Amino acid sequence: MSLDPGTLAPLAVTFESLTDPDFWVSVGVLAGIYAIVALGLQLNTGFTGIVNFGMAAFMAIGAYTMAILVIKAGFSFWLSLPLAVGTSMLFGVLVGLPSLRLRADYFAIATLAMAEVVRLFAQNARDLTGGNQGLFCDLDNPSNCYPNAWNDLSESINDFVANFWSDPPTLLPLLLVIWITVGLATLALTYLQRSPWGRVLRAIREDEDAAQALGKNTVGFKLQSLAIAAVLGSIGGFFLALDLRTVHPLDFEPLVTFFAFSVLILGGMGSYRGVAFGAVLFWFVLEGTRFIDLPDPPFTETRIAALRLAITGLLLIGLMAFRPQGLFGKREEMVLGE
Amino acid sequence: MNDAAPLLDIEGVVKRFGGIRAVDGATMKVRSGAITALIGPNGAGKTTLFNVVTGFYRGDRGSVIFDGKPVFGHPPHELARRGMVRTFQITKALAAMPVIDNMMLAAPNQPGERFRYLVLRPGAVRSRELEVREQAMELLEVFNLAELAGHYAGTLSGGQRKLLELARALMATPRLLLLDEPMAGINPTLGKRLLDHMQRLRKEEGVTFLFIEHDMEVVMNHSDRVVVMAEGRVIAEGEPHEVRKDKRVIDAYLGEVIVDTAAGERPPA
Repeated sequence: MSLDPGTLAPLAVTFESLTDPDFWVSVGVLAGIYAIVALGLQLNTGFTGIVNFGMAAFMAIGAYTMAILVIKAGFSFWLSLPLAVGTSMLFGVLVGLPSLRLRADYFAIATLAMAEVVRLFAQNARDLTGGNQGLFCDLDNPSNCYPNAWNDLSESINDFVANFWSDPPTLLPLLLVIWITVGLATLALTYLQRSPWGRVLRAIREDEDAAQALGKNTVGFKLQSLAIAAVLGSIGGFFLALDLRTVHPLDFEPLVTFFAFSVLILGGMGSYRGVAFGAVLFWFVLEGTRFIDLPDPPFTETRIAALRLAITGLLLIGLMAFRPQGLFGKREEMVLGE
Repeated sequence: MNDAAPLLDIEGVVKRFGGIRAVDGATMKVRSGAITALIGPNGAGKTTLFNVVTGFYRGDRGSVIFDGKPVFGHPPHELARRGMVRTFQITKALAAMPVIDNMMLAAPNQPGERFRYLVLRPGAVRSRELEVREQAMELLEVFNLAELAGHYAGTLSGGQRKLLELARALMATPRLLLLDEPMAGINPTLGKRLLDHMQRLRKEEGVTFLFIEHDMEVVMNHSDRVVVMAEGRVIAEGEPHEVRKDKRVIDAYLGEVIVDTAAGERPPA
C-alpha cells in the first residue's frame, strides 16, 4: 500500500463526527439555549430599545438557584425551577429600578457590571456556589442531584423515541424540550408584541419622551420588559446546567451575553422568528468549523480554535455588509429608526 | 377676564442649568377654553418653561396648578393622563411605527397594556382595540392622513408629521394642549389647516391651547391672549392688541417690522 494510514486517520475521525448525530444534537441543544436567551435580548434591545448586556447574570442566577436549592438544600428539582425563575425575575426588577432611569448607554454599562458582580460572587462565595470548582452532584448522595430528576424524564422520553429510532442520542430529550420552549416563548412574545403592550414598548424604543408625553409610564414598561428577559435568561441558565451537568462561573462570562447578541444580530433586530434561525446558524458555523482540518504545524489546536472564532466573526461582518437588518429584520424599521 | 379659575396657573417657576437661570420666576395663567400664545425672543425660556410645566424637567422652585390641583414636579405621564398633553418643537413622530400605531398608542385606558387583561380578558382587549382603531381612523380622516394609515410615520413629510403629532395628541383626550412651535418648518397651506383645526377643537371640543410661536401674524390673528417672556420672566400678558402696544414688549422683542406685518398699522410713536 502506498497510503500511510497514519495521515488518513485525522480525516477519518473528522468525517465520522461530522455525521455523528450525538454531536449535532448537542450543537442543537446549545443553539436552543442561546435562542431562549436571545429572545430575551430581542424583547429588550430589539423591541424596547434597552441594551441589556447582563443576560449572563440572569442565566447564572437561574442555574445557581436551581442547583443550590437541589444540591445544598435538598429541594425537589421541579420545585426549584419556578423558584429559580422567580429569583431571577426579582433580581431583574431590583437591578432595573435604579438603572432603567439611566440613559440607554449607561444602562448597558450598568447591566454589564451587574453581570460581572454576579459571576465574581459565584466565584468567591465558595460555601454556597462551590467557587471555581463549580457545583456538581455528590455521588454519595444521589438524591440531592439535580440531573437525576431530569434523567428519569429524559430516559422515559428516549424509551418512547426508541420505538421509531433505535438507540437515540442521549441529549435528544433535552433538545426536544428546549426547542419546544423556544417555540412557546416565540409564540407568547409575538402575541405580546402585537398587543397594545407591545405597541408601548415599540414607542419607547422609538422615542421615550413621546411615549411619556402620551401618558405612558415608560419606566414601568421597561421594568416589565427586563423582568421577562430575566425569566428567559434563567430558563436558558438551567437548561445549560442540565446540558453541562455542572454549574460553573466560567459558563457565565460576558462572552455568553455577546454570543447571544451575535445570534440576535444574525437573526435580525425586531424579529422573534429570526432569533431561532440566528441561533442555529451561529452555532452550526461555530461548531461546524471544528472540522476544519489543517496540517499541524503550523495549525496547532489553539490556532484553529482562534480561527473558528475569526470565521464566525467574518460571517457576522459579511452579513452586516450585505444584509444589515439580519436574516429576518425589517430594513425600513432599521433605517427609519435612526 | 378673571371670572373663571384658570385651567393652568404657573407661579414663580425657576429652572437653573448650572449658573444659568433659564426660567427665572415665570408667572402666568391660561384661561380655560382660550388659545394662548407664548412668545419671546430666542433664549427667553419658553421651551424650558414648557418642559417644567409638563414634568420633563424638574423645576427648582415655583408652583404649577392644573385644573385646581398642584402638579409641580409630577412625572410627565401622570400629567398627560390628567389631560395636559404636549407636542415637541422637533416632531417626535415614532418613525419606525406605522401612522395608525402612532395614533392608537395615544389612546387612554387601554386594558391591552396590562398583562392581567392580556391573559385573563383577551375579549376586553380586543373590543377596546377596535374602538381605538375606529377613533384613530376618524381623526386621521379629519386630518387628511387616512390614506397614509399603513405607512411608517418616518416616510411622512415634515408638515404631515406635525399634523400627525397634533392628531395623536388629540387621541390622548387632552383638556389642555401645549404646542411647541406647531407652525415651524411647515408650508403655509398645512399651517393654515393646523390653525383651523385649533380653532375648531377649541369651539367644538372645548380644548384649551397654549402654544409657542414666532410668527407674529399667526399670534396676533389666531390667539385670544398673548404671554410674552424675556430672559426667563413673563414681561407682559394680555390680549393681542394690548400686548402689541406694550412698550416693554416692543423693547424686548417686537420691534417695528413685526408689528407692521401683524396688523398693517404703524407702531405708536
